[in-house]
Formats: sequence, structure tokens, C-alpha cells
Amino acid sequence: MALPRSNYDPRRVCLNPFPEFTLGKHRRTLGVYLAGALFALANWTFMDAAILSAHAKAPYGAPPDEGPPVHVTFVDWVPGICSLLGYLVINLIDKDRIRGDEGFGDSRAVWRARLFLFIGFALMAGGLAGSVTVLVLKYILNGYPEQFTYYGYANVSQSVALMLSVIVLWLSQNTSSEYEYNLTL
Amino acid sequence: MAAGLRTVILLSFVLAVGFLLIILSCALWQNWLPLLVALTFVLAPLPNALFSHCGGDELSSGYEGSAPVDLGRFITAIFVVTGFSLPIVLAHSHVIDAKACAMSIAGGGLVYATILAYSAAFKQEESDYD
Repeated sequence: MALPRSNYDPRRVCLNPFPEFTLGKHRRTLGVYLAGALFALANWTFMDAAILSAHAKAPYGAPPDEGPPVHVTFVDWVPGICSLLGYLVINLIDKDRIRGDEGFGDSRAVWRARLFLFIGFALMAGGLAGSVTVLVLKYILNGYPEQFTYYGYANVSQSVALMLSVIVLWLSQNTSSEYEYNLTL
Repeated sequence: MAAGLRTVILLSFVLAVGFLLIILSCALWQNWLPLLVALTFVLAPLPNALFSHCGGDELSSGYEGSAPVDLGRFITAIFVVTGFSLPIVLAHSHVIDAKACAMSIAGGGLVYATILAYSAAFKQEESDYD
């Protein structure tokens, strides 16, 4: 009565919420490529806003000799820089230290790794919050036309895409251990 | 061998068409910024080629990827997305024409596809000898 248990065992329902076996062993490769693509896309979204602002004209109806009412300034760059720093910090951490069940070295290494991971995620979340702040305070509340509030939306989408990129990279690098998928930090 | 020769001739033809499209997209509008796309797509396979030798031997490389290989793939993806998004960004801010944007994207895609197909063809031929 050797039944192939793993195919229909009802306890297995919640074990693998991600469809990882459909992609097989190329999953890690695809994840890394996707993360790089998202990273570049995030930065190009913001660069698009910056370049657009550098070449912007006055909106319709305004007298053409006065320039556009708002430009991308250094304030807009700060959330992106925060997110990039957080990206670096998160990816410089050794993933095995976080799990901390192997007993490498001392136990304070796990604590420190978690602290740095927290700092990294706090930087990324701070970048996202800062981009939303810039969008609301600088663009929406001043009532600029839609041509100019695009700068703020580009900033927010840069932060969101950087976060997605970190998540994809983390998942694809963490799940390379074959059958055990513990995403609990 | 004849099939290999035909493949090489076809690929070189496609490469020439790709470069022709990129150079036309620059020359027709007297704006040589789209030439950066060609540079980007030529540089795109370089990180993979460099870092693939850091990945350990063939037995372990399929399963347990190493960090340098991942870094190479990450940089490659950044280059590819840069190559596609640079002309779009430039066309969005009216630095280059929209038609030049389309032409340079098509040309860059052809160049990169040529490089990919060429390396894939050579990899298959090498593995036949093993």
C-alpha cells in the first residue's frame, strides 16, 4: 500500500504558496534577471522624470516666455537615494546569518544581521514614504497640472519598483535550498 | 557544417541590419544620441561572460548559484532594460524623434538577439564534442 502521498496529501496545501516547481531549476536565474530588470526600470522611471523636467516647457495657456512652474530638484532625488542605500544594505547581508539556526560563530552575529536587515528595510520604507511625501507636499498640494505631477508619480513608482526588485531578488536567492522554503525571517 | 555556415551568414546579416537601423536612426535626424543604444547592447552580454567563470564547476553550478554569477545576471538585465528604455526616455522628452526611438529599439533588439543566438549556437556545437 505504498501510496504516493505527496501528491494529494491535504496537509501539503499551504506548504508551497509560490509556484516554484513550474520553472524548475531556472527559477533562481529568472528571479535574478527579473530583479535586475525591475531595478533598471525603477531608476529609468525617475531618470525619465528628471530628463523631462530638464527639457520642460511652460504648460498650455501660460505665457510662453515664463518657464515651467516646477522642476525636479535635489529634494526629489533624496527618496531614491535612500531606497538605493537600503537596497545595498539588504543585499550585502549574508542570508544564512538571518536564519541563525546553524550556529555559525556567536549568537550575536544573528542579532547584528537582523539589525542591519532592519536598517535596510527601514531605509527602503523611508524612501517610499519620502517619495509619497514629496508627491503630496510638492506636487499635489500646490495644484500643478498633470504634466508636472508626473514627476511625483515617477518618484513613487521608482521606490515601489525598487522594493519589488528587492523582494524578487530575496525570494529567488533564498529558495535555492531545494525543498525547504522557510520565508519566516 | 553547411548549416553552421548558413547560420553564421544569416546572423551576420541580421547584425548588419541591426546596426544599419541604429545608425539610420541617428543619421536621419542628425542626432547621434541613439548610438548609445548600440553601445549598451554590445556591452550587455559582457557581465555574464565575465562572471560565468566565477561560478564553480559544472556539477554544482546548475543547482546552487553563486553570488558573482547572480551579479553578472543582474548587471546584464540592467543593461538590457537600459538599452530599451533609453530611447523611450529620450523620445519622451523630445530629445530624439519618436521614429528614431522605434528604429533604434528595433536595431538594438536585433543586435542583442544576434549576440544571444550566436553564443547559443556555439555552446551547442561545443557540447556535441564532449
